[in-house]
Amino acid sequence: MIKAHQISYKHKEFHILDAVDVHLEYGEFLAIVGPNGAGKSSLLSVLANEVKSKQQILFKDKNISEWKVSELSKHKAKFSQHNSNDIPLEVKDVVMMGRYPYFDAQPGQQDLEAMNNMMYETDVFHLKDREYNTLSGGEKQRVHLSRVLAQLRNSIAHKLLFLDEPLNNLDVKHQYKALEIIKKFTQKANSAIVVLHDLNLAAQYADKILLMKSGRVAAYGTPEQVFTPENISKAYNFPCTICEHPITANPMIIFG
Amino acid sequence: MSTSAILLFLIAVWSLNTGVYDFGGQSAFAVLGKVFSGDSSLSISDRYVVWDVRAARIIMAILIGSMLAVSGTSLQGLFKNPLATGDLIGLTSGATLLAAVTIVLGGHFKQYLPEAVQFSLVGIAAFIGSFLSMLLVYRISTRGGKTNVVMMLLSGVAITAIGFSITGFLIYISKDDQLRDLTFWNLGSLAAATWTKNIILAVVLLISYLILLPKGKALNAMMLGEKDAQHLGINVEKLKKQIIIITALMIGSCVAFSGTIGFVGLIVPYILRLLFKSNYAFILPLSAVCGSILLLTADTFSRSIVEPSELPIGILTALMGGPIFIAILVKFKKSMP
Repeated sequence: MIKAHQISYKHKEFHILDAVDVHLEYGEFLAIVGPNGAGKSSLLSVLANEVKSKQQILFKDKNISEWKVSELSKHKAKFSQHNSNDIPLEVKDVVMMGRYPYFDAQPGQQDLEAMNNMMYETDVFHLKDREYNTLSGGEKQRVHLSRVLAQLRNSIAHKLLFLDEPLNNLDVKHQYKALEIIKKFTQKANSAIVVLHDLNLAAQYADKILLMKSGRVAAYGTPEQVFTPENISKAYNFPCTICEHPITANPMIIFG
Repeated sequence: MSTSAILLFLIAVWSLNTGVYDFGGQSAFAVLGKVFSGDSSLSISDRYVVWDVRAARIIMAILIGSMLAVSGTSLQGLFKNPLATGDLIGLTSGATLLAAVTIVLGGHFKQYLPEAVQFSLVGIAAFIGSFLSMLLVYRISTRGGKTNVVMMLLSGVAITAIGFSITGFLIYISKDDQLRDLTFWNLGSLAAATWTKNIILAVVLLISYLILLPKGKALNAMMLGEKDAQHLGINVEKLKKQIIIITALMIGSCVAFSGTIGFVGLIVPYILRLLFKSNYAFILPLSAVCGSILLLTADTFSRSIVEPSELPIGILTALMGGPIFIAILVKFKKSMP
């Protein structure tokens, strides 16, 4: 799906990313975790072709900068961490933006269906005629989630979704719901790279974990491999204990 | 859309019938019908008034009003602010300034230029003026891909001030006939409409709209921010270049033929936003029609209120635009933290 080798990224002589390798398979859910300022969002930006890095990033075996922007938008979508607060449109118009790559002047039947389906899934359908600017932070997050999901609603195989802290401002129910939707998406041979802060949720849902610290990869592998007390205490500078989750049998991290 | 087109047509009909000239008891339409059917009973003066004066002026109002409104809407979409219009950020002043320079000093170098350029020299100068102002304003107010709107409006004030002083100086040194031209440019008027000008304007409008009017979706996506717009498959750098060049072209041509008619690009999108939110997929094409409605109405009033004389049209548009400017500011103040 996506291969990147030894990515480095500097901003004003300050190393933000230093020799990071990323390798993602079809159908894989990769969670990027790490303390603040570890370079998680920058890594996601580089992988999603937002900022140019000197190193090659191969997306579906082709250099990502050689893809046409319009074509790429049907294969991958990105959910950004800082979504605009001021969009003077109705909720359904914002979700419909996800369908812009697919129609010229008027949305077709498929576009309307994709919009409605995704609004149902993310639980914003009842808000569809509300003005976006009057929504709460969590509701706005769900609208954008709905938008990026609608963008990848097509018949292309192996799509890739980037999500930068999608759970910000969401209540418990919607956090789980969002992760369920992403999991369901990856189970159809699509892939997702998600920046997460909650290690327990990452352990529960992700196939692979990339633990970052100071722009470098601190650990990479399955949740069981990465979430060891040594790795985590070292990365976060904070003591922790790890035990088995009584229901899912995933590693469960208890800080303090 | 069709409602507004019908409204525009009705206003055009009313406008054609409005005026001081008396067609000897018959209506202006009857005369216009004779013009089209080539009726030989038509007197030359009747034909002249209906076809070369009124009809030409109506068409010019339609073309220029439309282009001014669309340029305002596009710039507002690109810079995500309802105050970013050609006159407020200095494009109009830039165009007026270079047009004025060409009128007064053009005589000295005109003969060295090819004939086609000589004929449209003022138009080309106006385009270059608005384009250079656009570049200057953009450079001053943009940093790292983010445009600061306050900086933008203030650079507009600065450019307007420079333009004002140089135009003032040119007025001081200009000869009588040049002075008439300059005054015309500063006040703005559609009285100099001719069919040749209309054809040039129509060509500019057609080219511009072919590129600009399908950009409604792209302008909506820009509200998400440039990076997210890019993820939706929009080539943001290309979009910016297209809008900047085409708005400069439209504003330049409007200024070259009708002088500075202010506020059209502010008033029309403001009213449309009240009705349709900020959905550019609707308001961009609608502003093309509503701009025509606004300018044609204003022009018809300006030439009929104080008959047989006429009011400079800029007075009417500023009368509407000023309060709307204040209304936008008040709304801003409420949304400020």
